[in-house]
Amino acid sequence: MTAVAVSRPAGFRPARLLRLEIKHSPFLWALPVLAALFYYDTYRTSVGLPPIWTIRATVVTDHMIDDFSVFAAGLAAWAGSREGRRKTGDLLATTVRAAWARRATVFAATAFWTLLAFLAGVALVYVQTAIQATWGGPPLWPVAVGVLAVVAACAIGFTAGTLFPGRFTAPLVAVAVLVLDYVGHGAADTGSTTTGTYGVLSPAQPTLAPDVGVFYHVAPDVAIAQVMFIGGVIIVMAGLLALSPVTGGGRRGLSLGGVGKRVTVTGAVLVACGVAASATAFSLAGTAQYASATGWSIPALHDAASDRPVPYTPVCATSGFRVCIHPAFADYLPAVTAALRPAAAEIAGLPGAPVRAEQVPSGVLPATAGTTSVFQYPQLDGLASLWASPADVNTASWQDGLQQDFLTWFVSGPPPQTAPWVPTGAQQALVTALMAETGAGTPLFAQPDANGQPVGPTPAQVGAAATRFESLSKAAQHDWLATHIAQIRAGGVTLAQIP
Amino acid sequence: MNIELTDITRKFGRNKAVDGVSLTVGPGVFGLLGPNGAGKTSLLRMLATVLPPSSGTLRLLDRDPASPSACAQIRRRLGYLPQNLGYYQSFTVVEFVEYFALLKEMPPNRVPKAVAAAVERVDLGPKAKARLRTLSGGMLRRVGIAQAIVNDPELLLFDEPTAGLDPEQRVAFRTLMRDLGQTATLVVSTHLVEDVGAACSEVALMAEGRVVFRGTPEELTAQGEGHGVGDSPLERGYSAVLTASRKQVAA
Repeated sequence: MTAVAVSRPAGFRPARLLRLEIKHSPFLWALPVLAALFYYDTYRTSVGLPPIWTIRATVVTDHMIDDFSVFAAGLAAWAGSREGRRKTGDLLATTVRAAWARRATVFAATAFWTLLAFLAGVALVYVQTAIQATWGGPPLWPVAVGVLAVVAACAIGFTAGTLFPGRFTAPLVAVAVLVLDYVGHGAADTGSTTTGTYGVLSPAQPTLAPDVGVFYHVAPDVAIAQVMFIGGVIIVMAGLLALSPVTGGGRRGLSLGGVGKRVTVTGAVLVACGVAASATAFSLAGTAQYASATGWSIPALHDAASDRPVPYTPVCATSGFRVCIHPAFADYLPAVTAALRPAAAEIAGLPGAPVRAEQVPSGVLPATAGTTSVFQYPQLDGLASLWASPADVNTASWQDGLQQDFLTWFVSGPPPQTAPWVPTGAQQALVTALMAETGAGTPLFAQPDANGQPVGPTPAQVGAAATRFESLSKAAQHDWLATHIAQIRAGGVTLAQIP
Repeated sequence: MNIELTDITRKFGRNKAVDGVSLTVGPGVFGLLGPNGAGKTSLLRMLATVLPPSSGTLRLLDRDPASPSACAQIRRRLGYLPQNLGYYQSFTVVEFVEYFALLKEMPPNRVPKAVAAAVERVDLGPKAKARLRTLSGGMLRRVGIAQAIVNDPELLLFDEPTAGLDPEQRVAFRTLMRDLGQTATLVVSTHLVEDVGAACSEVALMAEGRVVFRGTPEELTAQGEGHGVGDSPLERGYSAVLTASRKQVAA
């Protein structure tokens, strides 16, 4: 393009052309529908999640990309096919601007609206999170991945529309991208730690704990691989457009002498670079490993320094039984305190009774009851999971769940290393009785079974023993527990032995 | 000479659309006549730098369009109205003309005035802000002419420019063609011989890819003396030349 560039009149400003294209972009038609989709899918999902930056940011990759990429691809295909559909090829071929430059302007206008809408959505989610979050800051890697993903959807749609101009190209491309999104979600296999290479490369990443990015940094390894992979796809699409006879290095038009060859070579180089980038990202993703504390990492990209815990000062309720929580979960402190204090009062003074409670990272095995005076609650998937929003944890059932976790930990001794695990009948009865003393509801325990037949004591037997124990005076309960707690934790007390 | 063609041929597969055409055209209005399939549009597309010739030499505005830099210079001074004008429905008249002015890389400070002048010249001033989807076929044709003349070109190529225009518009357009021919080389491809008679200073008649007549409209009229087919003298000349050409090919 040097020759053309040299002969370009001084003062030429492609911005005027871009302004026209932006004004007439088909993306504007879709904005109301996209806004509604964003509100019902992304925004509502976001506000239902805990106000933890990393958790809230997952809606960018899990929901926004799906919502936006389908529209972006379809509308970009519509814009890309415009010259073919409207039969302006001959007229445009007589203009000075190179076809690739002209089409780049059309693409830029579509990408402009797509990114503007996408970033506005991200801003809304992040502003809402900033208002509610008590610790940390906005993660930028999901935004980078999201931006590239919607631009890639635009590029795929635009290329398809340019190469196969027709009325049906846009809907077909939109459906194809929808299927691609669905496959990506399937591959990511949300909730699994053994997802495959495609799953790692899919922007829809499984988020396995509510405290991701809180106690440990989220390693950017997977995001880097995703950026590399998606960026490669975009570069390949740019190369294909340059190689296309319609837009660049083909055999159409007189202008394609030297200019066409250069564009062709540039296109070939772009395709090669894009394929190399995507292939490299694919092979890197194949080596990804999962660790419960720090999430996914890719050895070749991993910075071991990022595995160090993030320093923080816990937020504590100081009066009475001391309850501490990570500052990111500060809004949950009243609910946690309200749940734990009555239960702690019931067992206060007993051997091994905790004097304080503190939050620990998910995946960390809490310290053994009886060996520490600290109740450690990771809240991974327990009865009182922190997946709920602060408003949702101020319920009796959530607080009952946390009490059950607390008292079960106290009476059941060392936490088991193998699952499934159910407290013994006596342990269940004592938890039930102690919870009744605090005014909480009846705890829920799983009923173990063998070959479909329940084994161990029935809920009725557990309930009867609990009622017996409740009928004792507080002092008698306390004395008996003080005498037998070690035996109870060891599983050496039967239902019948409970007074 | 603004157009110099030497033994130009254009093939589409086995079909020769243009077969060894040699022409030189200077300033003025040049009519390209011929029946459907004579090769007029293919020739015009080559002159418009849309199609490269399969063989032969083509020079436009004293430049070789096969060279990218020369081609860019030619296009900057070229106006083209294709037979089937494609347009973008949501654009207004002014925006569409401005769009082409920008693609022709006109200096930005000249664009607004040039667009307004082109739109006025085709009598679309009152419709300047109308969207193209709301315009009639004749008005769209005039929009096409406006985009062709917006860069004040030295070489203008009109393919069937009066198609879709009503008689009054056609008369006005012939006046415009004569006006444009004062300063530029205007090649008008048409099969309406009255357009040629009214506006062209010179005419070429094509048949089966070749130029079978080249002269003034008066000379073409003279060819029809004693020939019975046609309502007007020029039509009789047109028919006589075509008949003679066909006989020659058959022989």
